[in-house]
Formats: sequence, structure tokens, C-alpha cells
Amino acid sequence: MTLKQFILPFFLLLCHTLVAQQDSIVQLKEVVISDTQLRDFSGTQSVQKLNDSVIGRNAASLTSLLQYNTVIYFKENGLGMVSSPSFRGSTAQQTAVIWNGININSQFNGQTDFNTLNTRDFNVISVRVGGGSVIYGSSAIGGSIHLDNELAFDNKFTNELRTDYGSYNTLGVNYKVATATNRFSTNVSISHNSSDNDYKFPGYNVRNDNGQYKNTSLNAAFAYRLNAKNVLRLYSYLFNGERHFARTISAPSRSLYDDTNTRNLLEWTGNYNRFTSRLKVAYLQEKYKYFEDFATDSFTFGQVKTFISRYDATYDFSSKLKLNAIADYTQNNGEGSDILNHKRNVGSGSLLMKHAPTERFQYELGIRKEIKNAYQSPLLFSAGANVGVAKFYSLKVNASRNFRIPTYNDLYWQGSGNPNLKPESSYQAEVGNVFSYAGATLSVTGYYIKLRDMLRWVPDSGNIWRPENVGKVSTYGVESVLSYQKQFGHSRVTFNGTYAYTVSREDGSSNQLMYVPKHKATAALAYAYKNISVYYRHLFTGEVFYTTDSSAGIDPYNVSAIGAEYTFKVLKGCSLGAQVSNLYNTEYLNVASRPMPGRNYNVYLNLKF
Amino acid sequence: MKLNKLLFTVLAGSLFFVSCSSDDDNTTTPSGAYANGVIVLNQGNFTSGNASVSFISNAFAVENNIFDANLLGQPLGDTGQDIGLNGDFAYIVVNNSHKVEIVNRYTFAPIASLQTGLTNPRYITFENGKGYVTCWGVGEIAADDYIAVIDLATNTLTSTRIPVAEGPEKIIAENGKLYVAHKGGYGMGTTISVINTTTNTVETTIEVGAIPGSLEAEDGTLYVLSEGYPYYASTETAGRLTRINLSNNRVVATTDFPNITHPSNLVIEDNAMYYTIGTAVYKTDLLNTTLPITPLFNTSAQSVTGITAFDVEDDHIYVGSGSYTAAGKVNIYSLTGAPQQSLTVGIAPAGFYFNN
Repeated sequence: MTLKQFILPFFLLLCHTLVAQQDSIVQLKEVVISDTQLRDFSGTQSVQKLNDSVIGRNAASLTSLLQYNTVIYFKENGLGMVSSPSFRGSTAQQTAVIWNGININSQFNGQTDFNTLNTRDFNVISVRVGGGSVIYGSSAIGGSIHLDNELAFDNKFTNELRTDYGSYNTLGVNYKVATATNRFSTNVSISHNSSDNDYKFPGYNVRNDNGQYKNTSLNAAFAYRLNAKNVLRLYSYLFNGERHFARTISAPSRSLYDDTNTRNLLEWTGNYNRFTSRLKVAYLQEKYKYFEDFATDSFTFGQVKTFISRYDATYDFSSKLKLNAIADYTQNNGEGSDILNHKRNVGSGSLLMKHAPTERFQYELGIRKEIKNAYQSPLLFSAGANVGVAKFYSLKVNASRNFRIPTYNDLYWQGSGNPNLKPESSYQAEVGNVFSYAGATLSVTGYYIKLRDMLRWVPDSGNIWRPENVGKVSTYGVESVLSYQKQFGHSRVTFNGTYAYTVSREDGSSNQLMYVPKHKATAALAYAYKNISVYYRHLFTGEVFYTTDSSAGIDPYNVSAIGAEYTFKVLKGCSLGAQVSNLYNTEYLNVASRPMPGRNYNVYLNLKF
Repeated sequence: MKLNKLLFTVLAGSLFFVSCSSDDDNTTTPSGAYANGVIVLNQGNFTSGNASVSFISNAFAVENNIFDANLLGQPLGDTGQDIGLNGDFAYIVVNNSHKVEIVNRYTFAPIASLQTGLTNPRYITFENGKGYVTCWGVGEIAADDYIAVIDLATNTLTSTRIPVAEGPEKIIAENGKLYVAHKGGYGMGTTISVINTTTNTVETTIEVGAIPGSLEAEDGTLYVLSEGYPYYASTETAGRLTRINLSNNRVVATTDFPNITHPSNLVIEDNAMYYTIGTAVYKTDLLNTTLPITPLFNTSAQSVTGITAFDVEDDHIYVGSGSYTAAGKVNIYSLTGAPQQSLTVGIAPAGFYFNN
């Protein structure tokens, strides 16, 4: 039995002797994409791609998808509430979120709230682990998460309607339409989610009051081939969420957070033999209103408008040597009831090179410098190599310098902002090993990150708490990803397991940083037979501390889900699925004082026509 | 199928981690003996729900977490703000839990929990059988601030609400009147409200300095220490000490602080006035109308980076400090500033309440 073959390695992996990192094993179709650097300049790092079937089996929130399938750790303020990702011991502000090649982390707090993104609006979600500031700019220290819409010029017209209903009156509807000819391709997705989210806190006589939320999003991508050489594309993402912020164990809440994000990207690509020219302009707007009491019309607000123009030129000297130059100009214009109105301009230039002298050896080099009006920015670089040592084994090494810029809140928050902040910056290095054998891929990556000028809130001479560039942090660890798939007859088994070991400490301290688990492991097993599939997934998160002196922590937890799906042959396919989350009714918290729900249920119907 | 075996392996592996990880929930039962010492309220971190209470005996033995969550069925709450001691009871004001927990002050046995009608409660005082709690109402709304009234005979909240100006903070009672410092809440206040407890109305408003953070009454005089407008206000100003004649509520004298400094934590003890600026502690004679330039001592020598609680009682100066994400410190000094004790308490000590 083939399952046996990976029980042993997985057990070893759990004993921390064997660790790995998943390589991209999904072949790209002939499609147009905006984030070409993810494809072309990520060969010396690890990229884990989540395909449609994995996306479909998971809840509509990106948190749940990535939490159960990758090494990323999430800090989630209860179900559906603010949720921020981090990996490699970094913070959410040191994690970049890239939408079709554009960094969409909030200008206010420097992070992306993953419960304000609907997974079903994107058809490819990738996780690129490790430094990426040379390409993606601020925040790509721990790694980056990529949300992409691929467009293909093939003849098609497909519709998909999915309806989810679950515990706590949780409703999700998603409609997708994709049409394409050889000149035109489009891909539109509309989602609406809502929930009463009033689960009982397991172990307490308290409900998750004021946790209700609803949101609507539209993601549209269009491509038009002007002629054999030129393609025009437009991507638009609109999101509106009306989310009450739930109470905690000990603090009742009546607050409401209303946020609207719009993101538009226009791109013109020209392919002239060896030369490819890409001109992009993007306009992003983020806007929030926060009501301390939803029943009043009194609120605070903030708004940032971002304009990006980017020129990206690639020259292929040969099939082995590629050079890519990028010039970018970004303007942010922010205002709000608590921040000082401020405009900032950032210009940057990057140069990237990929060279594959032999079939088994390639290396990549990159350099980037930013010019800005607000603060000094370091010279960034990245260098890496990928060596195919044997048929079943390849070795990757990468070193880079990365940064994250101070946010609007850090710089301009009334009463505590510090306009003299520098960016946080890091030197980091990693060594990755990828083993492939008979349908199984195991990757093991070890890394080290030295972060300096970390922003920390400290009292100033007037006893006012303000951010300062005072912290230095060293982080090291290993990540491993094991994936396996096997088809036999009408049956198909897939397994995906991840394990991350992380040690992250401030210099001079032996305490783990807050909200960084030393251990995190996931396992997902799926079995399909003809039209039926069943799956089981499991998440283990080790203890995290919510104090810097490790004096108070959140217990480790194991949580599992199980589900099944049956596909009827009506229309172009009709699937009916059911899931049980928190199968063992585990009492657990992810963030202090905010219990997660007990066992809960979800059913869905997905129609393709 | 060997699926079971796999699942078991995964599970076993996870359990291995669980058992490996340290568990520091050292839940020891509180002793229940808190006479003769000082009660320390620890704020905890806002939204983390980890407010706690420590007790330091007169022999300087520390007992942390004396509020027993097991007896209440839930933790003390989110952001401990103030404790008022009256009769046999301690009234614990928990800001972001919007409640007041009432316990026996000598045993900390729960008596009552006032969970409704208190929106953003701040400080408490007592007069004529009533407890008065300053409340911000919804922080964003300037016009809904009030003083809530507790009936001390029944330890219940009455329906009386005394509307006041924005941001009522510290409150003291003197001769049947309440004096409320309007530090300002989300805004910046500059006044003291004088409330008649017979009519429950504001009878006078006294202009003092900007951001009045502390007030003390002594020998017929009300001393109000205002911090001054901070650096981010349109014009930064120095702190100000205002002396008010309690018999007619008139300002007798104002003294501005030198060099645009921002003082806090006014304490009057044995005819001396103590306050802090940053990490420095100052002392001057109560009747001095000029302010000292040099501090009595600086707590930075004990690595204090920010003072979160301050008091003077008998022969000791108590300084609480710490960040919002690590255990706090209480440093105890002699009246001349000689360090005597350094004790570990809960997160971000907020105040000292002498329980003798």
C-alpha cells in the first residue's frame, strides 16, 4: 500500500528531524498573467500553488484556506474577524499580499486583513516563501501571498454558481462567468457572504455577541488582444464589508467596521520578439469607517488613495538569459480623523536577471533602490541559485535584503505617530532541498533572518507611547512540505502536509516573540472515487505567547475538519458537498480572550453551466 | 486501507507537541488574606482581557492574581482602571469590560458584579452612602458622558445619571460635593466640575490647566495638576498646578511648569506634594508656590521607562511601571528616593490602594 510510504517520512517530520518546502509543481497553462515575476524570478525560492480543487474544499475566507494548507500562521480575532497572516516568525506587516502583481497591504496598518478577501474571487493563489522586496517592495520579508486571475485566449463560455449555507446562519453565494475567444478573454466573479456568527464560546456561558458580518465583492478581469503583439488588460476588485467587531470573553462590544476597498489595474503588454514591454497603471482606494457603537452615527474614518505607474521591460538574450528592468512610481494620499493628512511619493527602480547556463543550474540576481520623500530606504538585493543535483533532488539557495516601510499609522497617527521613523530592514538567507520520488515531493528549507530597526512602541520622555526603530530580531527555522498523489483505477489519493519550526527572538532575550508559534503543522488527506470525494484535514498550532516575557500564553491546539462531495452529471457538473469543521469540538483560542467556535457545519451546492 | 493509521500518526505527532510545550498556567488558589498591605490593580493589555490584581503585604511579600476568576466564572476583565475601597468592599472599575466588580476588600470574595449601565467607566469615589463612577459613554461621542451612581447599601447601580462635560476622569468627594477632573477622554479637557450630591447636578465649572490628570483636596484647598497640551496639539503648553479654595470654588493660585514639561500623578502626603515628569519623581512643600527644577530622584536608575502608577503612603514612595505586554514592576523607595524594593506584579500596574 502506497500510503505506507509516506507515513514514515511524515512521522519523522513531526519529530523535527526532517523538514521540507513545497516546490511549484503545477505547470502553467498558456495564459496571460500580470505577476510575471512570480513565474520568472522565483526559481530559487519555494512557491506553493493552491489550485481550484483545494480552494473549493475550503471556506470562502482566505484565512481558512491558507491556515490548513500552508506553513502560514494566522492571528484571527475570532471567526470572520480581523485576521492577519505571518510566516517565518514575522509579523503581518512583514508579509506582503500581492494582487495581480500589485502590493495591496493597507497603507494604514501595513497589513492585509484576510477576512476581507474572498478566496473564490481568485483562480490562482500562491504562497512565495522568503524575501521578495526586490520585486514586491515593502513587507516581503517573511514571504508574500499572491492572488491572481489568469486569463486565457481559448474559446469558452462557462458559468458557475456556488451556494454555501452553514452554522450560525452563515450564507455564501458566488457566481463566476468566464468567456473567451481568440481575441478576448474575461473572468468575472461576484461573492456575497453573511453570518450571524453568534456561536457560543465553548466552555463559557457567553455568546460571540456582536460578531455578525456581511460582505460583497466583485472581481473582474478582461484581456483584449489588439494584434499579434499587443494585449490590453484591465483588472478590477471591489470589496465592501460591514462587520461588527465581536466581543471577547471579558469585553462586550457594540462596534462596527465598515470598509470599502477598490483596486483597478490597467496593463498594456507588447511582445516584440525578444523584448517585452509592460506598462501598468493602478489606482487603489481603501476607506474605513469605525463606529464604537453601531447604533450611533458617530464614527472615525480613514482613507488612502494610491496611484501606481510602473514600466516593466524584459529582454530575453537567449532562452537561458533573461533581464528585467522595472521603474515604479507610487503616490499615496491619506487622510482620516486620527491621522494627519499626508501625501507621500515613492519612486523605485529594480533590475532582475535570470541565467540558466546549464539545464541543471540556474541563478537569479536582483537589485532595487527606492527614492522617497519621507524616509531613507536601503539598497535591496536578492541572489539565488537552483541546482539539480540528481533526478530526485534539487538544491536552492537564496540570500536577500528586504524591508518594510513605516505605515501611515506609525508615522502620522495623531498623538503617537513618529514622522522620523526608518523602514525595518532585514538580511536573510535560506537553503532549500527538494526531493521528488514517485508522486511524492518533499521539501525542506532552513532559513535565517536578521531584522533590524524593528518598530516597537515605547514611552517617550513625556510618557506617551510612540513607535521607535529600536528592536533587533533574529529568526531561524525550518519549513517542510510533503505532497503526494497517486491514481489507481478510479481512485485517487492526495496528501499534503506542512510543518514549520520557528524560533524568533529579540536580541538579548531568550523569549519567543509574541504570537509566533514554535511549531505549526497541517495535514490534509483527500480520497476520490469516481464522483465521490472525501477529505480530512488537521491543524496543529503550538503555544503562542501574548506577552513579551512569555509569562502568559495561549495553549496549543489541534483542530480538524472532515468533508465529502458528490458530483452529479447534470449540466456541466453539479457538486453537492458537506463539511464538519472543528470535528472534535475542541475548545481553542487563536488570539487571547477570543474563543473560536465549537463543532460547526456547512453544506454547499456548486452548479456549472 | 491504512487511513486510520495515518490519521493516528498525525494525531499522535500533534499530541507529542502538545506535551512538549510548556504550560505556565500555574493556577494556585489565592490565599484570601489581604488586610495590612497594598492592593495593586494591573490594567493588562487593552482587548487582551488580562487585567489582574496583586497584593503586596506590609512585609513586601507579593501575591499576584488575587482576583479568583474561578469564583466569577470569567476573568476579572479587560483593562483594570481603578479601585475604590469603602466599608468592607473593594469596587474594581474595569474599563473595557464596562463593569464594576465588587469584592470583599480583605478576602476578595465576590460580592456583586455591575455589568450594565456603565459605558467606559473610569474612576470611582464615595460620598453619603453612594458610589460615583465617572463614565465616558461612547468615546467618540462628546455629549454622552456621565457619572453613574451606585447604592452602597445594596451594591446595585441606581438609575441616576449625572450628565457632565466630555472626558470625566479622576473624581474626589469633599464636604458633600464631587470634584470631577475633565481630562477630556477622546478630546482635551480644561475644567473641573463641582457636583452637588443632594441635587445631582453640576453647580459650578472651574477652569484649570489643559488636561487635568490628578486632583487632591487638603486643608480646605483643592490641588489640580494639569498636564498641559501635548506636543501634537496645535500649541503645546506646559503643565499647570491650580490651587482652588474649597469654600468658594475660586482659583487661588496657578503655577505653570518650567520648560513646557508635562507633569502627572499628583499625591499629597504629610504636607508635601509629590508628582512625576517622565520617569523623574519630584517633591516640594505643599505651600511652596514655586516648583523645584531638580527631581527628588529618577526611576530610570531602576530601568523604569514609563511610570504607570504612583503613590506615596507613610514612609514609602510606590512606583508602578512596565509595558502592556509583560509583567509589571513595583519599585518602592524611601521618602528621600532610596530604592528599597523591586517587586514583580501583573501587567501595567494602574494604581495602589492601601488596605490597612
